[in-house]
Amino acid sequence: METVNAVPVFLLFGCVAGLAVALFAIAALFNPRQYVGPVQKMPYESGMDPIHDTRRRFDVRFHLIAIAFLVFDVEVLFLYPWAVAAKRPDVTAVAPVGQVLSLSNSTQTGSLRNDGNSTPVGSLRNDYDISAAVQDSLASDRHIVFGGAMVFIVLLALGFVYDWRKGVFQWR
Amino acid sequence: MLPIVLVALIKVGLVIGGLMTAAAYLVLGERWIAAWIQDRKGPNRVGIPLTKIRLFGLGQPLADGVKFLFKAEYTPAHVDKGLYFFAPMTIFITAIAVFAVIPFGSFLPSDIFPASWGVHEPINLVIAPGVDVGMIFVFAMGSIAVYGVVLGGWASNSKYSFLGGLRSSAQLIGYELPLGLGILGVVLSSGSLRLDAIMEHQAQTGAWNAFVQPLGMIVFCVASFAEASRLPFDLPEAEQELIGGYHTEYFGIKLMMYLVGEYLHMVAAAFLIVMLFFGGWHFWGLTGSGNIVTWGEAILRIVVLNVKVLGMVFFFMVARWSWARFRYDQLMSLAWLVMLPMGMVNLAYVAIWEEYGGDWARSAGFSPQIAMTLCGWAVFSVTWYVATKMSPSQGDNRPRRQSRESNIRPGFEAEK
Repeated sequence: METVNAVPVFLLFGCVAGLAVALFAIAALFNPRQYVGPVQKMPYESGMDPIHDTRRRFDVRFHLIAIAFLVFDVEVLFLYPWAVAAKRPDVTAVAPVGQVLSLSNSTQTGSLRNDGNSTPVGSLRNDYDISAAVQDSLASDRHIVFGGAMVFIVLLALGFVYDWRKGVFQWR
Repeated sequence: MLPIVLVALIKVGLVIGGLMTAAAYLVLGERWIAAWIQDRKGPNRVGIPLTKIRLFGLGQPLADGVKFLFKAEYTPAHVDKGLYFFAPMTIFITAIAVFAVIPFGSFLPSDIFPASWGVHEPINLVIAPGVDVGMIFVFAMGSIAVYGVVLGGWASNSKYSFLGGLRSSAQLIGYELPLGLGILGVVLSSGSLRLDAIMEHQAQTGAWNAFVQPLGMIVFCVASFAEASRLPFDLPEAEQELIGGYHTEYFGIKLMMYLVGEYLHMVAAAFLIVMLFFGGWHFWGLTGSGNIVTWGEAILRIVVLNVKVLGMVFFFMVARWSWARFRYDQLMSLAWLVMLPMGMVNLAYVAIWEEYGGDWARSAGFSPQIAMTLCGWAVFSVTWYVATKMSPSQGDNRPRRQSRESNIRPGFEAEK
């Protein structure tokens, strides 16, 4: 079941796109063909005639917000792989026996009580294989990884404070 | 291969049909709730046509849908034609595509198929089981939905649409950061991006993330309200200021796609909140954990999950009639200056707890879950207190002072 992960996603995409197109088609089919005057085709501006085109210069604040978003969003995205891999195998881990044993060489065994549910839990297995592989390499120097992540978060916070002081988020 | 595709197709059909029906009838439900809150009668007339049977207004969604279909279809003269049609489709498709990784139950026993088909694993009630990026896919779809809003506002070539699209793009991207930070805490504590694994983790510990990470829950809930553009965050289509916001120039079936898409954003947000923070299908004493289930338990889990989701949707609807809309600068400063730092505090707290807290609690002889809950609420209270102290006082309705440059008398800016 886990080898063809992406097929259902594309099936869903296809079905929904088909539904959207079908809705357009049905609407075109039932369209009451009536005269549409020039006034009806004007942009709605509360009854005024539009003065000029809309595509003009607009406030630069939106640009600043967009850049700030880009920076922070990319930085937050870097945190996801760490967040997935940093999970310690503990009482609650959904883990096959072999991996728990292999990890227990390098971490304290006190935190590694298995709760007896040691069979691989169906479709959760694939997920665990990846994080277990990463964890095997993480386990020896967890403190360095944790310290690195903390430094990253502190840098993120510093950048945020700098932006704040510079008035990027200021919306007058 | 055949059973997999068949199973996927059945799930796709169930999800699309269920979501369409849900969107239609949730609109009716919302109007009923609005009527109940405002002490008036809601829609109660439409029943079976050509008879006098009213059926409490249950025919209303069908009548609305048919009305949308029979509206005149024309393209306004001033629009950008390709984008004008593309934008509502984008928002409609992404709103449903999110549900590819959102489970609508837990598992079904594998004996639903004849044995000769070779399906031995329990059926995972999510369209695409085993997609490890889970939440990232949800974020990706949410970000593409922003394009639907921006392109709709831009392509309409109308000032109201343009302002609405601009506003809502700034709002949606602004609240995407707290949304991601709120989730990171959950990902850290459960070690997976998959929603079924996150629910399984909560079912095994029995401690819902809402209890152990209250700060993350608040950040995520507020951000997902904003992402769904629900009151008090419905600036994108503030009717009193911007007519309809980015869909001012839309009508007929294209408007329906926008409205359905927005409604499904709310449903998806309710699903996510329930799954990430309120245990999903888990309820103490009712549902166990693991994927080996009997039919009774499988159905019980589906019922528990959907009751929770409906409760969350009800909360969304009641919230709509309980709060006034934010002013735009308040909205932006809430995203960037309150929710973003709160999310970072939550992330740092969960990271430190996952690294050292569990061992500390065990060596001190506490249950890790209870200790984490207490610590979580302590962090929540402190952060909340600091945020309250840094906010302007309640009577002060001026924009928040953020830097020395703006620390001047109100009204002075106008002369510059």
